[in-house]
This record gives sequence, C-alpha cells and structure tokens, in this order.
Amino acid sequence: MIFGNIRFKLTLWYIIILGIVLTSFSTFLYLTLTRSLYKGIDTKIRSIAEVIASSSTNPYSQYSFSNLDRMLKESFGVKPLTKFIQVLDESGEVGRKSDNLRQFQLPISIRALKNASQGKLTFETTKALGEYPLRMVTVPVIRRRHIINIVQVATSLEEVEEVLKTLLLILWITVPSVLLVASLGGLFLANKALRPVDEITKTARMITSKSFNQRIKLRKTRDEIGRLAETFNDMISRLGRSFKQIRQFTADASHELRTPLTILKGEIEVGLRRRRRPEEYKEILASNLEEVNHMSQIVDDLLFLSKADMGEAHLEKHRVNLAKLVSEVHAQAQTIAMTKDIRIHISKDVDGVMIGDRLKLRQLLLNLVDNGIKYTPEGGEMRISLEKDDGRFKLRIIDNGIGIAPEDQAHIFDRFFRVDKARSREAGGSGLGLSICKWIVEAHGGEITVESDLGTGSIFTVTLPLAPPDGGMTATETSPPKG
Amino acid sequence: MRILVVEDEKKVASFIKKGLQEEHYAVDIAYDGEEGLALAQINEYDLILLDIMLPKLDGMEVLRRIRRNGFGVPILILTAKDSVEDIVTGLDTGSDDYLTKPFSFAELVARVRALLRRKAKEKTDILTIGDLSLSTSTHRVKRGTREIELTPKEYALLEYFMRNPNRILTRALITEHVWDYHFDPETNVIDVYVNYLRKKIDQGFEKKLIHTIRGSGYMMKDEP
Repeated sequence: MIFGNIRFKLTLWYIIILGIVLTSFSTFLYLTLTRSLYKGIDTKIRSIAEVIASSSTNPYSQYSFSNLDRMLKESFGVKPLTKFIQVLDESGEVGRKSDNLRQFQLPISIRALKNASQGKLTFETTKALGEYPLRMVTVPVIRRRHIINIVQVATSLEEVEEVLKTLLLILWITVPSVLLVASLGGLFLANKALRPVDEITKTARMITSKSFNQRIKLRKTRDEIGRLAETFNDMISRLGRSFKQIRQFTADASHELRTPLTILKGEIEVGLRRRRRPEEYKEILASNLEEVNHMSQIVDDLLFLSKADMGEAHLEKHRVNLAKLVSEVHAQAQTIAMTKDIRIHISKDVDGVMIGDRLKLRQLLLNLVDNGIKYTPEGGEMRISLEKDDGRFKLRIIDNGIGIAPEDQAHIFDRFFRVDKARSREAGGSGLGLSICKWIVEAHGGEITVESDLGTGSIFTVTLPLAPPDGGMTATETSPPKG
Repeated sequence: MRILVVEDEKKVASFIKKGLQEEHYAVDIAYDGEEGLALAQINEYDLILLDIMLPKLDGMEVLRRIRRNGFGVPILILTAKDSVEDIVTGLDTGSDDYLTKPFSFAELVARVRALLRRKAKEKTDILTIGDLSLSTSTHRVKRGTREIELTPKEYALLEYFMRNPNRILTRALITEHVWDYHFDPETNVIDVYVNYLRKKIDQGFEKKLIHTIRGSGYMMKDEP
C-alpha cells in the first residue's frame, strides 16, 4: 500500500540516491585523507632518514651517528621528539638510537632487510611499541656497493589514527542524521507538491453525470500542477457541455417520440372502449399508420445523425452531375408541391460534376425543397437555382413562405429546433431535417446558410466544391464534419 | 359535466374529445394558450385538461392567470414534461392533478371522475338522491331495484342534476354544463330532454325527484 503512494516512492528514491551520494563521498573523503596523512608522515620520516644516511656516508663526519639528537637538531632546527631513530650496522646489530627509544628497539622485518640488501627503502606500519602503531622507514646506507648501515626512522601514528577515528565518528553520525532530516524534508516537499493532486482526485471523485459544476481551485502559480488543474477544469467544462447536449438531445428525442406514442396509445385505447363501425376502425388505423410513419422517420433521422456523430456515416463518393440531380429532384418535388398548388421554378445554366455521395446529395436537395414547400402557403412560389460562383457550385432554394425570425435563424440547423412546433409536426417533420442537411453539406466540404425575412420568405444557400478538372476520383471515404 | 381540453396537438385533442364524449361529458377544445384562457374565462367548466407546451401562451401561464382571476375550476395538467420539478411546479402553481404523456385513457377518465367528485365533495363514484342512484364509472342508473336505460345526453343531464341537488338549475346553467359550445340556446332542447328524463326516472313512482321551478328552471330534490 505504502508503495502505491507516490510521495513515499519519491521520498524513498530520494533517500536512496542521497544515501549513495553521501556514502561515496564519505568513503572518498576517508580514503583520501588517510592516504594524504600517511604520505605526509612517510615524506617526513624519509627525509629524516635520508639526512641521517647522507651524514653517515659523508667521509668528513664518519661516526657522526654518535650523537643523533644533536645532528637532528642541527639539520632540522628542532629536535623531533616524536621521531624514533635507530641505526643498525651491516650485521644487523643495533648501533645508535635516539634517546626517546630508551630501552626499546625498533623491529626490522625480513622484507625490509631484503629490500635493504637490494638498496631499496621500505615503509611499514608496525605494532611493536606502545598503544598506537608506528610508521617506520628503513633506509640502507650504501658505500661502494656495500651496505654499511641501516637507518630506521619511525613515528607514532597516534595523531593520524585520532584524526581518522574522529572523521569516521563524524561521518557515522552525520550521514544518517542528514538522511533522516532529508527524508522528512523530502516527505514534506512531496506532500506539498502533491497536495493539489489530492485536490484534483477529490474533485474528480465528486463528479458524476449530474454534477459538472465542481471545479479545482486554481492557484496563482502556473506550474505543472497548476496547468494540470487548469486542463482538468477545462475537461470538466467540456464534459459538462457535451453531457448537457446529450441530455438535451435525449430529452428532445424522447419528447419527439412521445407525441406520436401518445396519439397511438390514446386512439387505440379509445377505439377499443366500445364496438365501432368498420369506417371508424379504418379511420383509427389510418391515423395510427400516419403516426407510425412519423415515428419511423424520426428514428431513421436519429440513426443517421448518431452514425454521423460517431463517424460511421460513409460517403460513397462518385462523380455526380449536380445539374441533372437538381432536375430530378425538381420533378419529384413538383408532384408534392402540386397538392398545395405551389409552383417550383428552376433556373440552372451550369454544367459540371462534383465528387460526392449521390444518395445523400439527393436527400439534401429533397429535404431543402420539402422544407420550403412546408412553410410556403398554398398558391405560393418557390425557385431552385444552380450556378457557379468562384469555382464552386452555388445552389439556392428560395421560397416566399412565412420566413424565419432573426433570433431563430441561428438555431435553424440545431437538432429538434422548431420555430413552430405544431405546424412542423402537422407537416410531418422530424425536427432533424435541416441538421441532416448541414451534416451532408459539410461532409462534402461545403457550406449552408440561410437568409430570411418574416413574412417574405427564406433563401437557403448551399455551396459545394466542383470536381477537380483532371476528373480524378477519390475512393470512398469518411469525412465527418466538425461540430 | 363540461370539460375544456387545451391541447395544441390536434390528434391528441381529438381522441380525448371523442373518448370523453363517449363518457357523456361535453367537451370543448382550445388549440393554443390564448384561446384556452379565453374559453376558461367565458364559460363555466367543470374541469380543464391543460397541456404545458402550448403556442402563444404557455400552459403554466394559462394556469397562473386562471387562478389569479379567481377561478377555482379543477385543472388537470396533461403533458409530456415528466420531471419531478415540472410536476411540483405544476401542482404548486394551482393545478389539481398531473398526468404525463403518453397516458392510459382509462386512467385519464378515472382521474377526471375523481376530480369532479372532489369538486362535489363526494367520496365514491355513486351518486344517490332518495332511492335513485347513478354510478359515474359504470354509467348504470337505478331507481330502487329497477335498472334504467338512458341515452348519453339523458345520462349527462341526470349526472348534472344529481351533482347539484336542492339547487335551482337554470336553462343557462344546464346549457353550460351539459352541452358544448355548438349548442344553440334559442331551441327548447333542454325542456325536451328534461321531459325524456322525467319519463324514465319519475314515471311510475309516487315520489317525484325532478321539479319544475316556474320561471327559473328545474330542481332535483328528495322531499315533495
């Protein structure tokens, strides 16, 4: 559980890394200091030994070993109290030694003797005398290729040992304390850094499909967490908006289906309450059929739009002769318009093809013309015009119907938006026709707009791209419009 | 009993009217809020069925104005709006009942009966005066042990009489509550129907229940 917690993980990593760094540093410090202290001592005792050796090799001062202490004082200015000196003759017998050795003598190892016989000097650490080990150098005095004497100089390692011991003690105390303090600090920092994350988690938990008003309190700093919180808030808003849209859409769709259902249920129930004449049953069934058709229309349109929303509506792209398609739709629409004594004029002076889905383009044209017929009073007139404008098809469907109020024009392509609910239902619309038109136009890379004046009529303008001049035909593809 | 249906959806209004008429109610229809409000204020209805989403004037506004102008007529809201908030608002604004679409017609009729009963402070669906009884749900009428067959109009007239016993009912009142607005007040149809009803209910019984009040109208009472 504790390792599922990022602040502990962070702290743990931090401590491990800091521990490694501190330990390596301490080891390095300890070893370097040890080496440099030993080197210093070695240099000192060696120089003393060499001075003694050279004085013995000097022909003018033969047997000057007789008073080592005096000689040292002359050579180094002070009498080195802490240095033990001992001179051996060629047979290994102890000759002269410094006063501070008193009755003791410095040991000589076989290795040192061997080295000396080869004319080399030897450094050793020995435990021979006293509590602290001694550092000792053994230097042969050679004259005419013969060892005549061996000079040994030793000094106590007490100070070095003390220094190293103290250092070790300091390191043993400080490294763990530093680690402890650092881990507490690290935990604190991790906590501080991650507290906003906890807040985000808390907020995220509180969000359900019904509560999109929760927001993370933004701090002033624009750091990573600040940006995360901002992004998160943004996401909540977007989710909230789309949930609201879906809810609205579902409510609208269910309401839209509820009216025909109410009629079906009511008419059938009332019809069944008593025995009726066949004509009455016929009337009820005809009315029921009308409602069922209306419901199928709504369901079809809903299905189309939901497929379109999910990017599953495909355009079967082929070369389409738009002028020809307009003529076909015109012919079909005229028979519908005739029942309302509406005349549909057509003006098309263009030729040319576009790449598109023939069925969907046909649906687009029919929807628009049908829409015009619905809102044009009996005996009215309509016009379909197709022209080329700026390298694009410009299709206009003009009616002299009731028109659309300016405040409604912005919503006319919204799903289930109705300027006049009763009129539109009587006309058999699903409330989705223009939304579908907009989708089809945009899927073909075009645009649809409306201009209208109340009482004067409306003009729906559709622009669609022409086919590229080389006549190239792209394969079937999906291109859902944005928005 | 006369009922006003305010409903913009023509087919819904039409089947409600048909069904209620077959239950012997007189039914008027208004297709928008303004028309509904006007009819509710001109005529004395026993019950109003009101849709909420109406053109011209919203149903809630119609309800508010009817209540503000002091009309206590029972109002049943009949709408597709089915959220709890909508129902609460509807009832709090002054409606007596709330039914969501799609609804069962049998339930609608039962609620209509209940509301009319409540208005008359009755507890069951059986109205009685003396040994005459009428069931508003089954439409069966009995005098003593004898079952009486009535035409729809006669039934509607009798129901109105029985809901308002010991009260002088003028021809104008009877017109308002039993006939819909297609009725021509210049005719003597009411007297004709009252006479039909008398023949079926009082003929052959010693105690007469329907009395003529000279110069005013009729009254139903148990005492001689």
